[in-house]
Amino acid sequence: MTGIVSYGTYIPRYRIKLFDIANVWQKVPEEIIRGFRVSEKAVAGIDEDSVTMGIEAGKRAFDLVNLGPTKIGSVYFGSESHPYAVNPSSSIVAEFLGVGNDYFAADLEFACKAATAGIQLTTGFIDSKKINYGLVIGSDTAQGKPHDALEYTASSIATAYILGGKKTEIIAQILAMTSFTSDTPDFWRRDGARYPSHFGRFTGEPAYFTHVVSAGKKLLTQSKMSPSDFDYCVFHMPNGKFPRIAAKKLGFTDEQLAPSLTVEKIGNPYSASSLLGLAAVLDIAKPGQKIFFVSYGSGAGSDGFIFKTTPQIKKIQKKIVPVWQQIENKTYIDYTKYLRQTHTI
Amino acid sequence: MKVNVLGIGTTKFGELWNSSPRSLAREAMNEALSDAKKKASQIDALFVGNMLADLLGNQANLGSLFAESLGVSVPAFHIEGACASGGLALHAAVNGILSGQYKTVMVLGVEKMTDCQPDEITSGLMAAGTDEERLAGATFPGIYALMAQAYMQKYDISEELLASVSVKNHYHGSFNSKAQFQKPFSIEQIMKSTKVADPLKLLECSPVSDGAAAVVVSSTNGNSKSVSIVASEVGTDTLGLADRESFTTLNSVVSAAKRAYKKAKINPDDIDVAEVHDCFSIAEVLAVEDLGFAKRGMGARDIAEGKFTLGTGKMIVNPSGGLKACGHPVGATGIKQIAEIVTQLRGSADKRQVKNAKIGLTHNVGGSGAVAAIHILKK
Amino acid sequence: MITTPVKLWRRQKNVSAVIGKTGEILQWTIIRTPPRAFVQEAPYPVVVVSLAGGKKMVGQLVDWNQEDLIKGRKVVAVLRKLFPSDAESVIAYIIKFKPL
Repeated sequence: MTGIVSYGTYIPRYRIKLFDIANVWQKVPEEIIRGFRVSEKAVAGIDEDSVTMGIEAGKRAFDLVNLGPTKIGSVYFGSESHPYAVNPSSSIVAEFLGVGNDYFAADLEFACKAATAGIQLTTGFIDSKKINYGLVIGSDTAQGKPHDALEYTASSIATAYILGGKKTEIIAQILAMTSFTSDTPDFWRRDGARYPSHFGRFTGEPAYFTHVVSAGKKLLTQSKMSPSDFDYCVFHMPNGKFPRIAAKKLGFTDEQLAPSLTVEKIGNPYSASSLLGLAAVLDIAKPGQKIFFVSYGSGAGSDGFIFKTTPQIKKIQKKIVPVWQQIENKTYIDYTKYLRQTHTI
Repeated sequence: MKVNVLGIGTTKFGELWNSSPRSLAREAMNEALSDAKKKASQIDALFVGNMLADLLGNQANLGSLFAESLGVSVPAFHIEGACASGGLALHAAVNGILSGQYKTVMVLGVEKMTDCQPDEITSGLMAAGTDEERLAGATFPGIYALMAQAYMQKYDISEELLASVSVKNHYHGSFNSKAQFQKPFSIEQIMKSTKVADPLKLLECSPVSDGAAAVVVSSTNGNSKSVSIVASEVGTDTLGLADRESFTTLNSVVSAAKRAYKKAKINPDDIDVAEVHDCFSIAEVLAVEDLGFAKRGMGARDIAEGKFTLGTGKMIVNPSGGLKACGHPVGATGIKQIAEIVTQLRGSADKRQVKNAKIGLTHNVGGSGAVAAIHILKK
Repeated sequence: MITTPVKLWRRQKNVSAVIGKTGEILQWTIIRTPPRAFVQEAPYPVVVVSLAGGKKMVGQLVDWNQEDLIKGRKVVAVLRKLFPSDAESVIAYIIKFKPL
C-alpha cells in the first residue's frame, strides 16, 4: 500500500483584491471578478520565495506526525518559480528541514503539475520499496505581467506531502494513478523571461479541458468507478470557472467539488493549486471516503489520482493548520505594495 | 614616568569636499607640531586611529600612509576599534611611551566619510556590529534606539527628556568655531525632526563628517601649556547588543572608568570637565551614569535640568558640542576629545571655558559599547 | 555580512536549528534609514527577542502591524530570503521573526 502519510500547507498573509487590480487598468471590476470567478489572491511577502514557503509547509507536514526528517528517502520540489535556474530547491529545503544526506532528490518543472509528477515518482520508489518515506513539495510565487490576464490570478502558496508505505501510517491511500500528456503550447516561459506568456482562449478546450477530461476518463475506466462513487473531486484551478466546467464534463456535482474550490479566495498558485485543493479536502474528510483528483500542467499534461482516506486521518485532523483558517487569516494590500512585494518596482 | 600632551591640532569638522584624508592629516598634524613647538624629525612613532578607510576606500596600511604625510619614515601603526579608534590609538601611544621604546609620539585620528553615499556609510559603520545585527538590517541608530527604549521603559523617561542632550550640545557647539553645526536648536526643533530609528530622531543622531585631530604626546617635560595623561584605560563588552545582560549600561565603560579613577587616584566628582561619546542622545545619558556623574536612572533628568551645561552646571559635559554638534568623523573623535580637554585645562577655551578646570576625562566608545577608551588628564 | 556561499554553507546548521523557535519581543525599533542591502524593505522593525531557552537574538520583524510592536509580544523564528543585490550572487536565507 502506498499513500499520503502527512501534509502541510502555507498560505502567505497578504491578499490583493481583483477589484483593486481592475481599477488600476480602468476595467470594470465586477466583469473581471465574474469572468474569473475569483475575488482576491494571495501575495507573498517581499522576502518570501518558493523555497522559504516550501520550508514552512514542509515543517507543518513533519509537525503533524512523529516522523524524524532523516527517515525521508526522497525529496522532489515542483515549481515554476525556483529561486535558481541551476541549484536545486529540493536540497535547500531538505537541508533546512534536517533530512540529512541519504535521499534521492531533484527539482521538477511541468508548469502547474510539477509537484503531482513528483508524487507519481515518489510512489514508484515506495512501491518498489527503495525508500520508506518521500517528501514532495509544490510551491510557487507565481508571476503575472502587469495588465495581462494572469495578473488577476497568479498567486503564491506552498504545499508539502509526505508519502509512505506503512498501512498503519497512511491517511489517504493511492488507489489509482494515471497521466495524459501531449505537446500543447498553451502557456510557457522562455529561459530568462520574467513573466509567462499564454495564448488566451487556446488554454481552454485544446489544453486544460482536453487533458483534464482525458486523464479523468482514464481514471474512471481504469478503476471501473463512476463519479457517484466519489465523495470529493479536486481539479487544478487556474480560475473559478475551469474546475467547475471540468467537474461537470466528467459528471461530478457542485457538492463534490465545493470543499476543494480554494481558488476564489487565494487565486492560482500554480504547482500548489490542485494540491492545496486536496489539502482542503483532507482537512475535513472522514475515513473511508474517496477523492477523485486531476491536476493540469501547461505544455501539457494532467496527472490523475484516486485517493481513499483511512481511519488514521482522524488523528491528523486534530493537529492541522486548516487551509480555510489560513485563507481567512489575511491582510489586504494595495496595488503599490503589491508591486513592491512582487519586486516589480 | 609622566606622559604629557605637548601639542594639539584639529581641523574643522564637516562636509569637507575639497579635503582628502592626507590633507586633513597634514593639517591636524602640522597644527599639533606647531603647538608643541616640535619638528616632524623629533617624532619617534606615529599611531593612527581610523575605521572606514579600509572598508569604504579599499585603503589599508594606514600607518605607513600617514607617516608619509608626516614626512618621516618612523614606526607607524593603524589602530582600529570602530568609533573608539582614536582613543585606542592614544592608549597604544601611551603604552609605547611607558615602555620606554618611544619618547615623543604623534597620535592622529582621521576620517573621511563624505566620499561615499549615506546608505554605504550606514552599511560600513555596521562593520562595528555582529553578523546577526547586519542580517537583521540593523543600523547604529537602530541599535542605540533599542537601548533608548530600554532606558525609557526602565526609568520612565520621555522622548523630550532624552532630546535635551541635543539641546545642550548644540548650545555648546555654538561657541566652537571648528564644530560642524554652530547654531543652537530648540527642543521643539529636535522633537520635530524626522525619525531615523524609532524613537531616535535626526537631530538626536551625530552627523556624517570629515575631519582630523592630532596630539603630540611625550615623556619629556613640556612647557606651561602641557597637560599630563594620568590614566589611559580600555574596556570591552560583548560585540552584539543582544548578548548583554543589560541594555542600559556599557560594561566596557564601567570597567575602564573604574580602573582609570583608581590609576588617577580620584573619584568621579573630582572631574571638572568631560568629553563623552554622544553618538546618539541616549549615549550621553548612559555615559554620565556609567562614569558616575549621575545616579542610575537620573542621567536624562540631570542633563535636562542643566547640571552639565555651560553657565548652569558645575561639572560640564561636552563643552565642545560633543559628537552631536562638532560632527563625528569616526576615527578622529577620540583625539578631538583629548584636544578639547587639553584646551580646557590650559584655560584657553574662550567662550566655552569651564571655570577652574583642573582635571578632565574623555570617554570614547566603539560600536554599541563593544569597546571603550577612558582617559583622565590633569594640568 | 554573510553572503559568500562558503559562509552560508558553514552556518546552515545553526540557522536550521532556530527555525520554528518561539520567543517574545524585549525591545523594538523601526529602521527608516536602511543599509544598502535592505533598501527595498524599509521601513521595517528590528527586534531583540528572548527565545525559549534564554538565548537572545536580534532580527527583523515581518508580517507585522503597529500593534505587534510591544514588549512581550510572542513571535516565531522563520526563514526568509535576503534578496540579492544583483542577478548573479548566491541567495542568503536568514532568520527573521513573525508575530504569532
